[in-house]
Amino acid sequence: MSHPDDTENTVRTFLEAAGIPASTDEFEMFVAMYPDLRAAADKLYNEKWRYEEPVLQFTPLAPLRNSRGNLELNSEG
Amino acid sequence: MTELLTIEEASDALRSGQVTSIDLTESSLSRIEAVDERVGAFIAVNDSARIQAQRADVELTAKMDRGPLHGIPFGLKDILATSDQPTTANSLVLDTAWGDGYDSVVTERVRNAGAIIMGKLVMSEFAIGTPDSEKPFPIPRNPWDLERSPAGSSSGTGIAISTGMVLGGIGTDTGGSVRSPASWNGHTGLKVTFGRVPKWGCVPLGYSLDSIGPMARSAWDCGAILNVIAGYDSRDITASREPTVDYLDGIKDGISGLRIGIPVPYFFDHPEVATDQRVAVEKVIQQLEALGANARQVELPHSDIAKEANTITMLSEAFAYHHPDMGSARWSEYGRNTRMTIGSASLFAASDYVQAQRFRSWYTREAAKLMNEVDVLVTPTHPTTATLSAEMGDPLRRPKQPSFTGPFNLLGYPALALPAGFSSSGLPFSAQIIGAPFSEALLLRAGYAYQQTTDWHLRVPPIVTAGENNADN
Repeated sequence: MSHPDDTENTVRTFLEAAGIPASTDEFEMFVAMYPDLRAAADKLYNEKWRYEEPVLQFTPLAPLRNSRGNLELNSEG
Repeated sequence: MTELLTIEEASDALRSGQVTSIDLTESSLSRIEAVDERVGAFIAVNDSARIQAQRADVELTAKMDRGPLHGIPFGLKDILATSDQPTTANSLVLDTAWGDGYDSVVTERVRNAGAIIMGKLVMSEFAIGTPDSEKPFPIPRNPWDLERSPAGSSSGTGIAISTGMVLGGIGTDTGGSVRSPASWNGHTGLKVTFGRVPKWGCVPLGYSLDSIGPMARSAWDCGAILNVIAGYDSRDITASREPTVDYLDGIKDGISGLRIGIPVPYFFDHPEVATDQRVAVEKVIQQLEALGANARQVELPHSDIAKEANTITMLSEAFAYHHPDMGSARWSEYGRNTRMTIGSASLFAASDYVQAQRFRSWYTREAAKLMNEVDVLVTPTHPTTATLSAEMGDPLRRPKQPSFTGPFNLLGYPALALPAGFSSSGLPFSAQIIGAPFSEALLLRAGYAYQQTTDWHLRVPPIVTAGENNADN
């Protein structure tokens, strides 16, 4: 289990990196939330899906399709 | 006993001449006048409602029939752009120019279907916060018990349908925001397959999870709304080209032979599941079996982790959208719960987000295997009936709560929430029927069959009855 000061430092670093101007009581709330948030994320790291590909889709042609779904590669022509 | 019309009933009455759209609209306006101050459903009532209704009556008289929504009082969550009213997302932060002067795809379709757009409905700020008394927006309250939450994020739509201020409406669902208000306010709500309804003109929450869905008293009504809003539009990069069907065609065909899976681990045996809610859903399953379905226990493994993956995905995608405002002096313009919840995503690493998508691949495959064995799953929509509003704003609470809705956003599956009875204290129970992608017609058919044998979806909150009794006096 991490030392409370470690949690505070971690949270402070993340918030500063994101530029979040949390008040003192909000910072304390983030510190209180952090162990549960970290535990939730840690559950995602499991050997069962160690070699899965992520569900991330990128379709390079998507912006070039018109409203009927046809390619418009020569929009100028 | 006060009865509120369904869209199906009102639509028939309009065409048989028993009622006019003006009658329905005046009735809605009277209910808004009578109860909205106490339940907080509307951000803004549309000044043009009567004009829209007059036009609908002229068209219907001239046999220019636009379908079942024509002339029906309808509400839109204030997350959808509307050309004739501002859009706020229930926030001081949203640029006032956002959505100015144009309709979202869904608004456009509902308007073209002849629905009477009664106004913009209260929601959780940016579809995720909790009501904040320090901000200048109405505080939504559960019409069955004003001390309790109406759930969110489509809270105003849920309240307005439950109280008959509108007969149907639109919500959005990223982790349960159509189904939870349907559950706690006692009506029907359909979370559609990801991509089924185009989202252009809708303020995003979680790009890869968001869906726009129908909310109404009955499954038939939800089908009528879905018939209007479903279908591809090129302006939404995530919109599906999968062909639509007529969602009312075959809705009355029954459910003989329907294979029901009951995912007991997590969805029924989690310690947070209230006994009365679980028993109510078990009775729904028994009723579906009596109608010809076959039910058996199954498992959708690691659904507890699916809840975490959905939350991390949703918050990370939301934080990406909100970062320019949250990492600035505008931080405090967000409601406290909103900024603490979305801001908490800054505490995740980028690899956590990617890992959630790797889990999503695995979970989607496991779910697909399961859906080869059964046609639908049935679960409680929520572990409990409506909780006290005072308990809803604690950011420490969310990570500890199970979610029976979020896993199906992660999967992109459709899910129907339908009323399943009432607790001893008069609060609605709700069951959730989940199907494979694009099986909305099947879910609506199951919901319709169930609703022919019960009247839970037609019950009216006492606040409406009391209001009308006072008006009669």
